[in-house]
Amino acid sequence: MKFKSIAAATLAVATLIGMAGCGNSNSANDDKTITFWHNASAGEGKQYWVDLAAAFEKKNPGVKVEIQAIQNEDYAGKLQTAMQDPASGPDVYMSLGGAKTKEMIDAGQTMDLTDKISSTVKSDMKTTLSAATFDSKVYGVPVSVEPGGIWYSKDLFERAGITETPTTFDQLKEDAQKLKDAGIAPIALGGKDAWPAAHWYYWLALRECSPSVYSKGTEKQDFSDKCWTRAGNDLKELADMDVFNEGYMTTTAQQGANSSAGLLANHKAAMELMGAWEPGVLKELTPDKKPMADLGFFAFPSVDGGKGEEGALMGGVTYFQVNPEAPDIAVDFVNFMAEKDNQEKYATAFSTIPASTAARGVVTDESLKAVLEYLNKSDSMQLWMDTTLGTNIGTALNSGVVNMLSGKGGAQDIVKAMQDAAAKG
Amino acid sequence: MTSISTSVRHRNKRVTDGKVRRNIEIFVLSAPAIILFCAFVILPIILGAYYGFYKWKGFGTPSKNGTFVGLQNYVTALSDPNFQAAILHTFEIVIGSLVIQAPLAILFALLLNQKFKGRALIRTLIFVPYVVSEVIVGTGWSLLLQKTGAINQILGRFGIDGPDWLADPKIAIWTLLLLISWKYIGFAVILMLAGMQSIPEELYEAARVDGAGFWQMQKSITLPLLAPTLRIWVFLSMIGSLQLFDLVYIIWGQYVSTTAGVSTMATYMVREGRGAGNYGYGSAVALIIFIISLIVALTYQRFVLSRDLDGALTEQKQAKKRAQKRAKEAQRLAAAAQ
Repeated sequence: MKFKSIAAATLAVATLIGMAGCGNSNSANDDKTITFWHNASAGEGKQYWVDLAAAFEKKNPGVKVEIQAIQNEDYAGKLQTAMQDPASGPDVYMSLGGAKTKEMIDAGQTMDLTDKISSTVKSDMKTTLSAATFDSKVYGVPVSVEPGGIWYSKDLFERAGITETPTTFDQLKEDAQKLKDAGIAPIALGGKDAWPAAHWYYWLALRECSPSVYSKGTEKQDFSDKCWTRAGNDLKELADMDVFNEGYMTTTAQQGANSSAGLLANHKAAMELMGAWEPGVLKELTPDKKPMADLGFFAFPSVDGGKGEEGALMGGVTYFQVNPEAPDIAVDFVNFMAEKDNQEKYATAFSTIPASTAARGVVTDESLKAVLEYLNKSDSMQLWMDTTLGTNIGTALNSGVVNMLSGKGGAQDIVKAMQDAAAKG
Repeated sequence: MTSISTSVRHRNKRVTDGKVRRNIEIFVLSAPAIILFCAFVILPIILGAYYGFYKWKGFGTPSKNGTFVGLQNYVTALSDPNFQAAILHTFEIVIGSLVIQAPLAILFALLLNQKFKGRALIRTLIFVPYVVSEVIVGTGWSLLLQKTGAINQILGRFGIDGPDWLADPKIAIWTLLLLISWKYIGFAVILMLAGMQSIPEELYEAARVDGAGFWQMQKSITLPLLAPTLRIWVFLSMIGSLQLFDLVYIIWGQYVSTTAGVSTMATYMVREGRGAGNYGYGSAVALIIFIISLIVALTYQRFVLSRDLDGALTEQKQAKKRAQKRAKEAQRLAAAAQ
């Protein structure tokens, strides 16, 4: 009897201790170990980080980098939970970007790197550093820049008798019609994920609205100008021409041969509007897992009567932030990422454009070179509209676009959805 | 005299000792369960309610990095047409799955309760969809049912132009109900079969002697005696439908589910809370869902399940009262018979 009670009491105490143990931090407390989170959970990208960490450990004897590769869709939620208590969060982590980074700054969850970044970062990444700069303080080190635009299959364009890529929205519509007449699905669209559909709206808004009106919208959420509805109507016109792949509302963006990227990779559709990660994604989806041979790129066409800046670019910048409680060696690690060598390897592994201008010579892919040309021509790049607006209004915007495409509401409802979202967050 | 009183006192002490020890034992033995329950059920509900009063992005703490808005989140949620639609869809699913699955499950169970060759195989097969993970089922069906998917291609062979099973708002909810029925009917059938097998064979024998036919036996013996099982299944099915998330999320995704008219309360919560990064608002929605589910569950328990759960979940006092009532009734009948 007595023995049993003692045993039970021991068990209860053991349970309590066990539960307390769960709260232990996952970041080691010594100054020689850094935990590092990124979202490249497969393929060459994952290997790149393993190699980079090994090189860093070799250069700094005694230092250990613990890597966690987290599936992209889980990444934001996991990071947010882990950073509730910075002491238990990762020391170096891939940024969520835009308004989310701003929230993290306000919550004291990210380190001010203004005086800590190396001179290499300051000089080589001058053009992309603005994406990680808030109130003229630098909070991250960029690794890649991904401007968007239209990716197309040169073979399919040729088959439809299109000799030159479109430069205006009307030409784009004509070409789409030509493709359709030739029996080719003109545009692949991953409507199920919403953001690929919304990207059409972002670009049309960037072309329709004057730079000042556009920044008033993204920064102060003032969408009163008519250009915001005009952008929606432009998209509606395009959708009404029936130029997107059949069943695009239930098509995903990147998963498998049935996704919109898969359709382009397998010549089942002629073009797709996407960021500069596209060649890397297509590579995994072609039948022989090799880069798509006839892939081409052209910038988003201008809109007749649009007030947007000529050739303005929009895209994403991937950068890495540092935990405010991380050891100094973590800062060295992000600076290490920015070195020319590592940036070159990064660009190759991810088939993308490196943030470092010094490393851009390594880009050999024809379509990416075309992107670079546009990038060199324009002096600034807007961030994706949903990133700038933050997830709350961004989500409302994306669902507004999906609603319009499925016939539930019109262009003015997109604007209204963004205004309503302000009530929720 | 003194010796007696000491012995009484002594005994009393021993009795209280036993009681104290018993209480300690109860406390110690149930502590792990109670602690776990509080930490992972009660505390999250309280925290959720607390977050629900704030506009909060999930970074830092609500009091520091959020703004207190009182009941505003609840007002916004309840007046959002998208949430109202999600509640409506959820209840369509609750009722739809009951209406479709109950008769089918009973029929299947009746069939599988007969002796025939290959019965074990069919019993297993009908249970297979229930065992397969929702993610696999969802991914598989979403590929099959796409506008250009396998099902429409097969239909095309027969010259039928298949509809858009998933994106068409007129069809999507029926597609979903069909998938839910296909997936969960195995569970209902197994429950019904178990219920049928607990019905004593003697009753059927007696009925047969009295000249009852097959359908009459099912109607007068099987169905009434299956009622307790049926009531429990209805309860489980309702709770499952109220929480439906994974199938919809995987097949339709968080955006298209709204336009296709299959969004549920849970998918709305995930989109507006986690997806949009509005953790305060999302928590408020979660609490509303919790309250709706609680009301449905408690109402059903109080009015329908109470007779099955006598003494188990309902208060023992009530059960005692009912037993007394029954005893009195018996007495009255006995007296009348005399």
